[in-house]
Amino acid sequence: MNVEATKFRPISNERVAVLGTQPIRIGPYHDPEYFALEREAIFKRAWLHIGHVSELPEPGSFIVRKMEAARASILIVRGKDSVIRAFYNVCTHRGTELVAQSDGLASTFSCRYHMWTFNDRGELRGAPDFERFFLDKADCGLSKVAVGVSAGLIFINLTPEPEQTLSDFLGPLETQLEQLPCATATTFAEYVYEIDANWKLVYDNFQENYHLRFIHPRSVGTTATGPENPFGYATRFDFIGLHRKQALWMNPEHQPGPVQVSALDRLVSDAMSGGYGELMASSEYFAIFPNFFMLNSPILPFSHTVFPIAPEKSRGVIRFYWRGEDDSATQRFAREYAVAATRDVHAEDRGVIEAGQRGISSGAIQHIHFQAQEALCRHFINSVDATVQAYKAEKALGVSGA
Amino acid sequence: MTDAAVLPTGFQPLEVFVDTWALVTSFERSRRRETSSLAQMRHFYDAFSPYLKDALAYLDGKRLAEFAPADERLMALCLSLAHVTLAVEVQGEAEAQNALLRHEMRITRSTAERAT
Repeated sequence: MNVEATKFRPISNERVAVLGTQPIRIGPYHDPEYFALEREAIFKRAWLHIGHVSELPEPGSFIVRKMEAARASILIVRGKDSVIRAFYNVCTHRGTELVAQSDGLASTFSCRYHMWTFNDRGELRGAPDFERFFLDKADCGLSKVAVGVSAGLIFINLTPEPEQTLSDFLGPLETQLEQLPCATATTFAEYVYEIDANWKLVYDNFQENYHLRFIHPRSVGTTATGPENPFGYATRFDFIGLHRKQALWMNPEHQPGPVQVSALDRLVSDAMSGGYGELMASSEYFAIFPNFFMLNSPILPFSHTVFPIAPEKSRGVIRFYWRGEDDSATQRFAREYAVAATRDVHAEDRGVIEAGQRGISSGAIQHIHFQAQEALCRHFINSVDATVQAYKAEKALGVSGA
Repeated sequence: MTDAAVLPTGFQPLEVFVDTWALVTSFERSRRRETSSLAQMRHFYDAFSPYLKDALAYLDGKRLAEFAPADERLMALCLSLAHVTLAVEVQGEAEAQNALLRHEMRITRSTAERAT
């Protein structure tokens, strides 16, 4: 697109050898016991992407989101004071799921079972015949969940008192995210898929380019592969604690079709007028631990979150962040195209990921292999496993209150 | 133009595509692409794409919220072309196989369906 034609220089094997070169054992990609450990070690402790501030546009706006990896339903509310708060969506009387709707506008939340009613701060405001309980209402508030907002993105943390703030968790990536369209977006488009595959197998697909020419010969094709870089390998990897990032190579010779050009021209001009000219010179893919991706492109400004559901089942949510509702027919056309074009690519991925899971789950092989250009996958499993092993060690020592 | 017109003046040759392609939601447009043959989509693409620039220029002259029903239908045809162009300009003979893969990718929200 608007990327300067620079000679492709591959990342050397030596650059990534520090991550290790050994085969990867497959247990973590299908074993229910490992999944249970990930639940405790990662999904009940890490900051997890769950939404966008545009879903809570005014005081009283709320959303309810499933987080199967933690077996939890989360209620996120923008209070009358405009502060965003998150709670387990669980009535404190008998544990019933409190709110059935997925989103809405409300000043109070009543449990349909016995009509316990909570306010926007999660406090119990009313309960029929409450004098027959042996309780103080002040002790009956909804269980709080830590919530943080960065670059317009809402994250939750299920630890009552997280060890790290969201800002510390994101580290240097936070200021980079703040430069992206999601930070100022007021709306988004979305598509969703379910997939019979472990969340890490799904995630891995989107952090290596080795498969591009085989799985996406047309949908990616010459946009990101070409004679000087036939595999479409990245131009740079960054490893930032548990997170990682790759700079994607774009082929300056790529020629889109005439109708595609009509859409792309508008996406480019919107990006320029939105102040993203500088951003268009790079193409970086952020992989934020554990399960969140963000492309830095202002032309295709999407995130992709892979939610674990079960050891071999996940859900992917892709969102395109836009500033302002559609302002014209051409902008509407361009945005429709951006979503449809990206969906084609992700659909091709989905099919081959499930085939990978079937093979892994068959027990035919004990290890899989990552080459140097699949280094982000290796860094990912290293990060997951280090977190799981630290949790196991902590439990063995009996130091955790969790 | 009256509300009875199927498409705005100048776009009448495209009326034959309204029943199939003037769909209300992004989800429906994506599904229609999946259930259409490449030949059907090439037919739509070949007939409609020469009108695309004029159609968008005409529609850009109006506020989205003030579209007449005929304008809405023309807009919906443009939006269907955004999907169909991927079959024609990109996927080609791979479209049928690709359609099977896309079925599980459900468009759940689109700015094209939101209040303007």
